[in-house]
Amino acid sequence: MSQSSAMQSHTDADHGTTAPSNHATGTHSTGVADHGRWSTRRIAMYALFVALAMAASLIELPIFPAAPWLKYDPSGIVCLIAGFAFGPYAAAIVSVLGFLPHMFTSPWGALMGVLVALAISVPASLVYRRKRTRGGAMAGMALGMAIALVVALVSNLLVTPLYAHMTVAQVAAMIVPILLPFNLLKFAIHAVVTFLIYKPVTALIDRAA
Amino acid sequence: MTDDAPATPLAELHDVRFSYDAGAHWTLDGVDLTIMPGERICLTGANGSGKSTLARLICGLTAPDSGTIRLLNLPVYTTESGPDAEAYRKARRGIGAVFQKPEDQIVTTILEDDVAFGPENLAVPHKRLGERIADALHAVGLQHQRHSNPTRMSGGQQQRAAIAGMLAMKPRLLVLDEPTAMLDETARDDIMQVLDELQRQGSTIVHVTHRPEETAHATRILRLERGRLIDATGMATDSETFAAPETGSREKPSADAMPPAALHAENSTNSPLVSIEHLSYTYPGASAPAITDLSLTIGHGETVAIMGPNGAGKSTLAKILCALAKPNAGTVVVDGIPVQRAKRKQRAQVHATVGYIMQHPERQLFAATVAEDIAYGPRNQGLGEQEAMQRAEQTMRLLHIEHLADRSPFALSGGQQRLVAIAGVLACRPKLIIMDEPAAGLDDAARHRLHGVIRHLHNLGVAVMLITHDADEARALADRIVRISSPAVADADTDTDDASGDNRSADSARSADRVSDSLIGRLDPRAKLPVFLLVMMCAFAISNGLQLAVGACAVAGVLAASHIGVRRLWRSIRVFLVLFVLMGLANVLFVRTGTVLATIGSIPITDDGLAISALYICRFAMVIVLGAVFLATTTPTAITDAVDSLFSPLRRFGVHTQEVALVFSLALRFMPTLADETHAIMDAQSARGGSIETGSPLNRARALAAIIVPVFAGALRHADNLSLALDARCYEEGIRRTHWRVLRITSNDIVFIAAAGLTVLDIALFAFLP
Repeated sequence: MSQSSAMQSHTDADHGTTAPSNHATGTHSTGVADHGRWSTRRIAMYALFVALAMAASLIELPIFPAAPWLKYDPSGIVCLIAGFAFGPYAAAIVSVLGFLPHMFTSPWGALMGVLVALAISVPASLVYRRKRTRGGAMAGMALGMAIALVVALVSNLLVTPLYAHMTVAQVAAMIVPILLPFNLLKFAIHAVVTFLIYKPVTALIDRAA
Repeated sequence: MTDDAPATPLAELHDVRFSYDAGAHWTLDGVDLTIMPGERICLTGANGSGKSTLARLICGLTAPDSGTIRLLNLPVYTTESGPDAEAYRKARRGIGAVFQKPEDQIVTTILEDDVAFGPENLAVPHKRLGERIADALHAVGLQHQRHSNPTRMSGGQQQRAAIAGMLAMKPRLLVLDEPTAMLDETARDDIMQVLDELQRQGSTIVHVTHRPEETAHATRILRLERGRLIDATGMATDSETFAAPETGSREKPSADAMPPAALHAENSTNSPLVSIEHLSYTYPGASAPAITDLSLTIGHGETVAIMGPNGAGKSTLAKILCALAKPNAGTVVVDGIPVQRAKRKQRAQVHATVGYIMQHPERQLFAATVAEDIAYGPRNQGLGEQEAMQRAEQTMRLLHIEHLADRSPFALSGGQQRLVAIAGVLACRPKLIIMDEPAAGLDDAARHRLHGVIRHLHNLGVAVMLITHDADEARALADRIVRISSPAVADADTDTDDASGDNRSADSARSADRVSDSLIGRLDPRAKLPVFLLVMMCAFAISNGLQLAVGACAVAGVLAASHIGVRRLWRSIRVFLVLFVLMGLANVLFVRTGTVLATIGSIPITDDGLAISALYICRFAMVIVLGAVFLATTTPTAITDAVDSLFSPLRRFGVHTQEVALVFSLALRFMPTLADETHAIMDAQSARGGSIETGSPLNRARALAAIIVPVFAGALRHADNLSLALDARCYEEGIRRTHWRVLRITSNDIVFIAAAGLTVLDIALFAFLP
């Protein structure tokens, strides 16, 4: 499990002002949350990322005119950022918990959403953990997109017949004209937006630490 | 509250030093402080003087750089041996902490569960939890709202709930860090009454404040100055020592000269900048209107203060004037533009004419530098790079913040951030500036600076609509004060006043009681959660009439046993149902078997197609009804407990199930907050001309970043405050906790599981029917 510097921090920031930590004189840590345990800060941070993912998953934007029933939701961006900032474990937590509210409206769809979010964010953060550069982030997202694409197509084959009166073969026929381009477009938006906001957001996280 | 001999101090600090920047500046530079039982100490000082830092040291939430600290007679820190984690842990359990932001201290969505969270972490035995909750709620006057949702309460009630959450832990010392900073006058009085009562009962209180009137009952007043504590008890504590001298030069309008309720106080001679006639507005889905029949004019260059109780529609009025909400009735004309009929282009004109400084405008900051952030609006107006930066520079000079140009807006103090955000709106050069509580949460120095800016705008001939709770502020700045009253019991605004909050929560509490006492409501969530999910998933396998009948019986049974009214059910499912009906109907177009009944274009509509559509719609309806019943009868706390308990075997494999469950429950609690904030930020940025729907891809991406970055910043801010609140409630990973809600599998649950099993079995068996 990765533990980034942001999570080992303590709670010393005066409200209104922010301050660097880990300076020569001391960390202001009380020692209560040390030794690899989950600090309250880590819990709070994950909770707010999950809340963001939940809120984002409620947004539905039609981005593909050929298939208006397929909607884009930006929650995948939150999963990716969580993975980059806090590691694959955080990516997994945000991916799974972020979709849980949808279990009660569309259980199979929610399951599919969880799998796709996991498939894109966990590999991406695993790669990024080894190579913490822009290149690493890009390579990670490319790998994640490739895996997520396979997961999305396979789960569509299995789940779509539950929601619409179609055979697996009929769904398969939609792959090339609809499912493939939609998912590529969706992941491309994820990647571009993540790439744009990653730096400012991690700067904020580091500052808060 | 204390068992010790009265002579033992509760906190002793000697020569404590604290620096945020490796010793370049000492926020605290040799602080000595001894707190005895029964004292009520007020800690004062300017913003940034280290009050909050000292408060956190006293709570044991952070450690100093050097010095000696004993808390509750435990040696938690010495320069030689550093922090003693075990002593800190013990001390924290006896010290309560209440912070500035009311809502960030709430951990769950039912008041009694929220109050129970701290005692649960202290492993208080279950049979004692009930009285702890009752006593604590009684002490803050919230005993009748035990079952209400604290996240929907007013700020004042939330702050009282936070105090109750601490009192339930029976602290020997209670530390409050500017608990009233975010509250209006009435709510402030309520909090002060609670503190007075606690003082009478002998509680020891440390109260950080910058309001002189709040120090009245203190046994000792201490002031932080240049890192040191000064005893200010005997000194004049009136405005002299607190407030900076007035800097305004303009003659103030006298309060008596203005009839307070006048809406049409002046009939301006030439056409006014804003004229509103018979405006009414109801939020979509709200039962009561936010504004009814409001008329108002604002002349060019006029400063008008808008006052009125929470929920009177002040913020709604601001949104309408900014063309961010469309009125239901009446006319609104801004600088000749009819806002109620404005199309996209005219809305852009309104955005250019009206500047909107929302509540806590610093939440909209997003750019890498202050100058970039301020130039965002001018750029959206189509100005060139150079011109936009020039505008930014001019505006920074106006507010005397030019030295901040290259800093990150996120690295500034709260007061500075406020000024930068205001500059970001002023740089658009609006003719009218709407300020929604611009001074909320600012200290006196920052407030005076802000007032200077508002006067300066007036001198420049810019009209200002100032929404404020502060009568002094309104009198000092405005040409005219307009009071608007609540049209009805408003429930559209997020911050309703206490009275309407009471009514509403009492109402919803009654219906919630009925539902939670029902057969389904009483089920153990560990049985309910997996069974509901299983049946919902199985519903997708239904493909013939017999299966459908079994499913329908099961759903009907669940519905009857849950006591959810039809109206409530319909409200919670209608959106999804419409969607699913459409999805189901779409099947008609794909089915080609059976008898053709009609054709739409070239597509045949067959009886098979209709039957299949009906089947799919029924399936979806079952799933959605079951989901709605589950959510209505199960609290987030119960879901969390079930998730925790069901997944606890995973603990063996190193999964932090208790923490993951807590993360989930906190996420559910913060999701609506983040959604609201996102909407506010979207409004604010689109008032600055940012648009994700139009413009070049680059502009759209920029507009998107200007929304997403502040949303993340807000989430991180909440996370910071929340982690402190969790510390104050003594949550730690792996501690033994008790539970206020005890999970117990009863015969009821067994019957339920058996019935569900039978349903699933029937659906499976009937699948083999021809």
